[in-house]
Amino acid sequence: MKSLNRRNFMSLSAASGAVLAAGAVDSRPALAGSVTFAKGGKDFSPITGKERTAIPTACWQCVTRDAMIGFVEDGRLVKLEGHPDSIRTNGVICAKGQAGVNQVYFPDRILYPLRRVGKRGEHKWKRVSWDEALDEIAGRLKPLLDAGTPEKFMYQYGRNKASQAKVSYDFLHAFGTKTIGNHTSICEGGKWTSQELMWGGHYDNWDFDKTDFVLIFGSNLLNTHTNHIPVSQKLIEAHVGRKVPVYAFDVRLTNTAAHADEWIPINVGKDGLVALAMVNVIMNEGLYRKDLFKFMKVTADRKASVDDKIAAVKERVAKFTPEFAEKESMVPADKIRDLARGFAKAKSGVVVSYRGTIAHQNGADQERAMMLLAAVTGNVNSPGGRCQGVGAGWKAPSSKVGQKTGGKLRGLDVNDGFPGQVAYPTHHVSNQVLKMIKDGSNGRPDVYMWSCYNPVYVNGEVNENREIMKDESLMPFLVSVNIVYDESSSLADIILPDVTYLERWDWEDMVSPVQVAEHYFRQPLIKPLGESRDIADMWVGLAKRLGIELAWKDKKDFVRQSCEMTPGVKEAGGFEYMKKHGIWHDKNARPDYLAFETKIPASALQADGVIFDEASGVYWNWHKSKAKNEAEAKSVGYQNTPSSYKGYVGQEVDGEVYRGFKPDKVNKSGFLEFYSELMKAKGMPVFPTYTPIPEHAVMAKDELHLTTYKVAVHTHSRTSHCKWLSEIYHDNPGWMNPKTAAERGLKDGDEIRVHNKLGEITTNVHVTEGIIPGVIAISYHVGREHSGRYGSGNRSPIPGVADDPDFKNKWWDKHGVHPNTIIASSPDQISGQQRWMDSVVRVEKA
Amino acid sequence: MANARKDMAETASSRSHVYGLLAAIFRAEPSAAFLAQMKSSEFSNVLKSLDISLGDDFQDTPCDQLAEGLAVEFTRLFIGPGPHISPHESMNIEFENPMEATLWGPQTVKVKKFIEAAGLEYGDSFDGMPDHVSAELEFMQRLATKEAEAWEEPNEEFATNILKIEERFLDEHLSRWISRFCDKVIATSEGPFYREFAEVTKGFLEYEGESLQAFNASAGNGKGDSG
Repeated sequence: MKSLNRRNFMSLSAASGAVLAAGAVDSRPALAGSVTFAKGGKDFSPITGKERTAIPTACWQCVTRDAMIGFVEDGRLVKLEGHPDSIRTNGVICAKGQAGVNQVYFPDRILYPLRRVGKRGEHKWKRVSWDEALDEIAGRLKPLLDAGTPEKFMYQYGRNKASQAKVSYDFLHAFGTKTIGNHTSICEGGKWTSQELMWGGHYDNWDFDKTDFVLIFGSNLLNTHTNHIPVSQKLIEAHVGRKVPVYAFDVRLTNTAAHADEWIPINVGKDGLVALAMVNVIMNEGLYRKDLFKFMKVTADRKASVDDKIAAVKERVAKFTPEFAEKESMVPADKIRDLARGFAKAKSGVVVSYRGTIAHQNGADQERAMMLLAAVTGNVNSPGGRCQGVGAGWKAPSSKVGQKTGGKLRGLDVNDGFPGQVAYPTHHVSNQVLKMIKDGSNGRPDVYMWSCYNPVYVNGEVNENREIMKDESLMPFLVSVNIVYDESSSLADIILPDVTYLERWDWEDMVSPVQVAEHYFRQPLIKPLGESRDIADMWVGLAKRLGIELAWKDKKDFVRQSCEMTPGVKEAGGFEYMKKHGIWHDKNARPDYLAFETKIPASALQADGVIFDEASGVYWNWHKSKAKNEAEAKSVGYQNTPSSYKGYVGQEVDGEVYRGFKPDKVNKSGFLEFYSELMKAKGMPVFPTYTPIPEHAVMAKDELHLTTYKVAVHTHSRTSHCKWLSEIYHDNPGWMNPKTAAERGLKDGDEIRVHNKLGEITTNVHVTEGIIPGVIAISYHVGREHSGRYGSGNRSPIPGVADDPDFKNKWWDKHGVHPNTIIASSPDQISGQQRWMDSVVRVEKA
Repeated sequence: MANARKDMAETASSRSHVYGLLAAIFRAEPSAAFLAQMKSSEFSNVLKSLDISLGDDFQDTPCDQLAEGLAVEFTRLFIGPGPHISPHESMNIEFENPMEATLWGPQTVKVKKFIEAAGLEYGDSFDGMPDHVSAELEFMQRLATKEAEAWEEPNEEFATNILKIEERFLDEHLSRWISRFCDKVIATSEGPFYREFAEVTKGFLEYEGESLQAFNASAGNGKGDSG
């Protein structure tokens, strides 16, 4: 044979092509599918080359809860990857997600039930059996049922969502208690309450795929958002792929601000004011879009014409001139004008806001200003705009409520703050729970149990929290359901070993960035280590002891039943389908943009119980409210009848009835409400406004703002024992502007004292232009008293898994400081949101 | 630039045809219809131009009869029973430790992993092992087809990435054993058909190795390097 050259190669190819094209070759190709270089789904042992078992499941490191694939080799979890079929994540997970492996195998993990034998905080423990532990807890709960005081059993949770939350509520309601606390106020409760006052349900999503302009206030969403991987990818695709302009307002040069077109430094607590000044420009220059005004409530008169509404908004924001905003916020007036014009003229745009905006006194009102900016430019629930989040809806089995209390639920009033403290605590005021227990005016729980939560560490005023929980006269019996020996479980009377999320069953439902719901699933990747047990199975053990009948046998059964009863998932193949695929979405579903414009059919208005409320223009079904009869419903009216929002049918606008913005949690109308009768009723600003933060108004010259932030590789309190993450981030010096540092004679790296009336912390200073003057910023995550050797350097005084061979490689001996020690547990008066960003401190060289 | 892309697309498409033909030849016994196509004047002329002869009686023997004879030869060469040439990478590649030369061993897994990482899977009707010569040749055919599409789209970055993957697969797999396999076929064949196509396979893959290296070197010199 001659050797091949280009010429005879091309001839050979042409002839080969002709033979192939004739279709005469073997019709059974070896390979199926198409070349896609698909992400994920397979993995192989680098040592043996053997293919690993791949199991679909879901993350739980943070609330984003991405769908994942876990890889198991010889019964050991070795690796986690994103689920390639996820429309939420496109097969990506973050560093925290990948380090989930560490949650299972960290050396200080709690694997057995433990009973305290010394004083609280003395760290003396005895291993007990599950039966002993549950018998003791049931022995404390039974008398509460016998006395008709189930409310004295309080359960409080941190990261609980979807089936994990549902299953606990189900048992607790069957037991008869509604003293159920959460942690939402230290997270994003203020944003949710604010949105409930305006557009109904909570959670906003930003339609980055279609947007043309992005304004970000107080949110480092490329690193740390509560829907991190889904939204950060979409933002990157828009900004890099389509060159969509992005402007980030922040006190600090975050990673998001660094990747934006421009970082716009802004003074602490001024985000809402700048948004109002932008609205001022847009209204005065006639750049607003009329479309949405029809559905907005901006005056007391619900029948106001669009022109009247435009005039009213103009008047409301007239005093917030760019020059006034510049004086307060340090954002140049011309910059405010430019961005207002750019945003209003763009085909579509999103306004992103987060904890930097809302974790303040009146933070919920700042969020209203953000929504106003979106609304006057027509960017609400529209393509490319700020949209109401869409998550999966699941059905689940439910047990009979109040089985020993005659069907009644009873609760201690310790979840919503002190009387008069918070106007609309629609997501509770978890930051005040320990203070209220200390105060005792509203009663105290005899049994306080918590899971996936660390009340001492995650709230402000850490020292006070510790003292309250140590005090047996205030909190007589404490049960911690946990995987790690931490600041709170170390004070418990009984510690129950929880499973990690990689060892349990769940269905999941987090918001999708593409406005199409994704149903997904969590299943155990491995057998639970030691004697760890899913909390749901712990409830089953208690139910048996208390004679309570549950509608499910165990967590797996709860999840199985949910899969078999949830539309869509059921038809796809239910539980077995989800076990195999881990994920399902309706391929025909499309985003439901502008759904508020949908007209309500006349038949819906004539249904039994539906009445019209002239004051608000709302059609509602009084049967679903707490009104005793129709006459009472009519005389008390929609706004003042408890739970009337549950019967909302539609909103009358210009003689037609529309779906409008359906209320949730509060009795607002179906308008997108900016003029809020509910706010007015509580003496809060009726229309979004600017209210200076009281503590900031009286700051002494040598005082600084203390702001906090999160980093990409940790959750607030649940990852410091993960070695891969703590290796990356374990110390948190305070960021300070060179000017501020110079005023205090500080150089980069100096040791500093940061203090106020609550206490003092010591750290080092990181001098950088990446933060505005007058501020010190200290991250969360670290400064752990406990949390095992990787998190705090301290071995836990409990029998754990065998020593980790990697421990010899731990090269860091710094474990940071905890800013919460000097932050007050203090709620926003509108929503109850913890005011993380309002603290004032002094800083000196140590 | 557009002309360069067109050339690349044409070349990739041509390469995929040759891979496709060779994959078909080694996958199974040729059917009569397949042999009829090979008797076409276009194909015969190409073979002639390459100094390849499938035997004096190839053109004159009826296709059914040819197919029958080649089925016996295919079975004897690649299936057995008795001594035969294993058409699998794991049995032909040179290992430092000869104990690693096991059927369906770690080397097979590496091939499977490579192919599946590209998003393909082994079809239900394919009953061979993942590192069968025809599967590897077909994989290169599929890559080259995708590459041609990428040049035409045009998605230059994707196309050059596929080129790199093709070169990697050749380096890590095909070219590490194909020559030795073809030599065995050449030495063992009783008739010209498999001997000559073993020659074509060997010659083509040598040509491929050089061409891909050249393409990737030029891509690395600023022509759409994706890093």
